[in-house]
Amino acid sequence: MKRYKWEWGIALGSFLVCLAGTMVIWTVDPEETVSRSERRRLAQKPELTWESLADKSFMDDTEKYLLDHFPFRDGLRRIKAYFAYDVLQQKENNDIYVVQGHAAKLEYPLNEASVKRLAAKMTGLWQQYFPEQDVWYAVVPDKNYFLAEKNGYPSMDYERMIRLLSQELAKNAEFGYIDIISDLTIDDYYNTDTHWRQERILDVAHHIADAMGVGGSLNFSKGEDTGFTEHEIRDFYGVYYGQAALPMEPDTIVYLTDEVTETAVMWSLEENMPGGAEAGKVRMPGEAGAVLKPVYRLDKLDDGKSLDKYDVFAGGASSLQVITSPDAVTDRRLVIFRDSYTSSLVPLLLGAYREITLVDLRYIDSARIGEYVDFDGADVLFLYNTAIVNHAEMLK
Amino acid sequence: MLFSSITFLYFFLPATIFLYFASPQKGRNLVLLVMSLLFYAWGEPVYVLLMLAQIAVSYALLWLVDRYRARRAGGIFYILSVLLPFMALFYFKYFNFFMDTVFGIRTKAIALPIGISFYTFQIASYCVDVYRGRVERQKNIVTYAAYVTLFPQLVAGPIVRYSEIERILTRGADLSHIRMNFGNGMVRFAVGLGKKVLIANVAGEFVSEIAALGQRDILLSWAYAAAVAIQIYFDFSGYSDMAIGLGSMLGFDFPENFRYPFISKSVSEFWRRWHITLGAWFRDYVYIPMGGNRVSMPRWIGNVLVVWLFTGLWHGAGWNFIVWGLMFAVLLVFEKGAGRLYDRRRFLPEAVLSGIRHVYVGIVILVSFLVFHNDSLSGAWADIQALFGAGSRIARNAGDTQMAVYAYLFRNRIVMLCIGLIGSVPFPAWLWTKLRARMQAGAAGDRIVHILRTVVTAGLLVLCTAYLIDGSFNPFLYFRF
Repeated sequence: MKRYKWEWGIALGSFLVCLAGTMVIWTVDPEETVSRSERRRLAQKPELTWESLADKSFMDDTEKYLLDHFPFRDGLRRIKAYFAYDVLQQKENNDIYVVQGHAAKLEYPLNEASVKRLAAKMTGLWQQYFPEQDVWYAVVPDKNYFLAEKNGYPSMDYERMIRLLSQELAKNAEFGYIDIISDLTIDDYYNTDTHWRQERILDVAHHIADAMGVGGSLNFSKGEDTGFTEHEIRDFYGVYYGQAALPMEPDTIVYLTDEVTETAVMWSLEENMPGGAEAGKVRMPGEAGAVLKPVYRLDKLDDGKSLDKYDVFAGGASSLQVITSPDAVTDRRLVIFRDSYTSSLVPLLLGAYREITLVDLRYIDSARIGEYVDFDGADVLFLYNTAIVNHAEMLK
Repeated sequence: MLFSSITFLYFFLPATIFLYFASPQKGRNLVLLVMSLLFYAWGEPVYVLLMLAQIAVSYALLWLVDRYRARRAGGIFYILSVLLPFMALFYFKYFNFFMDTVFGIRTKAIALPIGISFYTFQIASYCVDVYRGRVERQKNIVTYAAYVTLFPQLVAGPIVRYSEIERILTRGADLSHIRMNFGNGMVRFAVGLGKKVLIANVAGEFVSEIAALGQRDILLSWAYAAAVAIQIYFDFSGYSDMAIGLGSMLGFDFPENFRYPFISKSVSEFWRRWHITLGAWFRDYVYIPMGGNRVSMPRWIGNVLVVWLFTGLWHGAGWNFIVWGLMFAVLLVFEKGAGRLYDRRRFLPEAVLSGIRHVYVGIVILVSFLVFHNDSLSGAWADIQALFGAGSRIARNAGDTQMAVYAYLFRNRIVMLCIGLIGSVPFPAWLWTKLRARMQAGAAGDRIVHILRTVVTAGLLVLCTAYLIDGSFNPFLYFRF
């Protein structure tokens, strides 16, 4: 019996210390509203009402709240990652793998239906809005293109993807393909993020501009002296850093400015939809009261609203943006159907285009863009990364 | 509420333990009842009323049975006490399927109350046992309600009969009993949590990865079948371990529900090791009342078919569950016949026979769980065909890229599969017993063993918490029953 006494003591004692200790830490730990490492807002304390009890939303929201605010959350996620990698010998954690100093997200297999859907979407837009104009498209490879196959990870058949997209587009329309894949290497991407580095894609910008016939108007060279001033934003933890939950060195964002980018101004739909008495109206560029911002949104670093330092490029996610570049060499206009990769590319094209319109079909219905975008006489470019091509269902 | 949730682990459980042991012996059933209702209402805020209504009705009917036992009315009240819970179960679980199958009418979907199959069987067995005089009717409605709602086993078993916990419910567990069992219960709970979170959930990810591919090669098809079996076994046995562990911590001795079913050498042995409390329930309340095996051969076959039809249906209202149950009935009849034939002329060495039987049960387990796992029979058939290189699931002209994907998926989860397979046989328990015996031989051996056990338990808790924090989706498979 004596043996059981101390056994019971150890068991109950450690049990209570473990659970009650966590509860105490929970109580005294200051409540965070955002997780910087996961780059997301944390769940807030749910409100207890009869309705929320009856429809179970209070319980569900409480579960989310407790998960989000658990003490040592990042450390525990790291423990899980180490267990998955080192004990279970998994080659990824949450579909993120780390090789050659880069974190990348698994993307496979090739979804041919999605490629065809994208081609149909592009063709439909061409038929509806710009049947007479010159249209180009380019595909940005995701990091798997450079890392997956040679490191034993599954990857898509990228050649098949591009060939299929080209074949589908050629059925009904004439799109010019710009092959930028050969201009890129893995070093052109951030280590902890999905995106490419602006300072390393000058040749890509030149290639695109050359293909569209405005290469001679660009105000920078591809050599060492580009004519740009480099600015650094340190401690950039990209989107894969949080998901991988493994220790990685942060990246440094370098953004490039010159007189052209300094004088350019950017209008975005979301910032020009006033509330109150003017609700429902949109202040278009050039209209009185329209909100215009610089192309590099340094304010996003400080306002606490953005969790992603990459948002410094064109302000991050937006359905529709119009960038006016008064110092451009030409009066030409460009419309880009794009994803987030374009945000860091577009400042490099401002020397060649007086106006660049960015349309992100993930956030705006393609049937609505005619209300805001004037395609007449504009060059049109479709620039999507391979993950979007493989998941075209997200385009509206 | 899920056992494998932060709410349960770090709020509900410590609060329940504290309140349970802080309250006087007489008040403990009330604490259990209140906490069990809270536990159930957290997941089923509306259906908790249904459960309470069923408790009240069965309590009242048994009171009437007692009062009118000598008269015909007593028998009617008894029949009602058994029938009504099953009518509720039929309505919530089988009505849609019945209307669709029999009349071809698609009716509006009815949400299934969590755990209704488990507590229906508990209420029914209690009513039968009271009527037949196996147990005394519980006159205290709080105690009776505490039995039906007892949170450790409420939503996914094991199916505990009133007689098995009557003593603790009525007299309370003495402190020395709890002292002996609390530590073991804690370890058992942590092991169950680990089985669920670290093995079953990870196997489930693997199953989803392969299913998402659409097509695969033969090797991956076998890995898929193994992962399905591992997921189902570790999910369900993990829950049972947690339930038994929690019961021990509160002073109860719940019956075992799994005894390494994958080491069986026959289907009948498999069912003596798999979901033991369900098998025993059907044996005692359906099979034996129908005459069991003390009847003519055709009647016995009929009895077996009825029991396994119900066993299949208990798991769900779907043709796959019916086929799954009847498949075992056919195999049990086959085994009996084949056994008799073989006994006349034993021509194989025992070791060879044993090997053949293991392979036979292994294939039966893999195939049966593919039927169990799939929502449709056509999907199950496609998965079974894929094991033999046939059917629509097999990629016939897979290119290098596709083959690389198959190889990667297999390599990525091979350690988990191995851990799952090793964990489903008695080897780890045997190893621990040996290790413990060796350590206990030393002077401070006992203490080292218990400290080690506590450290491992705490480690499992931390690791499981880490997994829960990292991914919030982990429903128990058996909740749908």
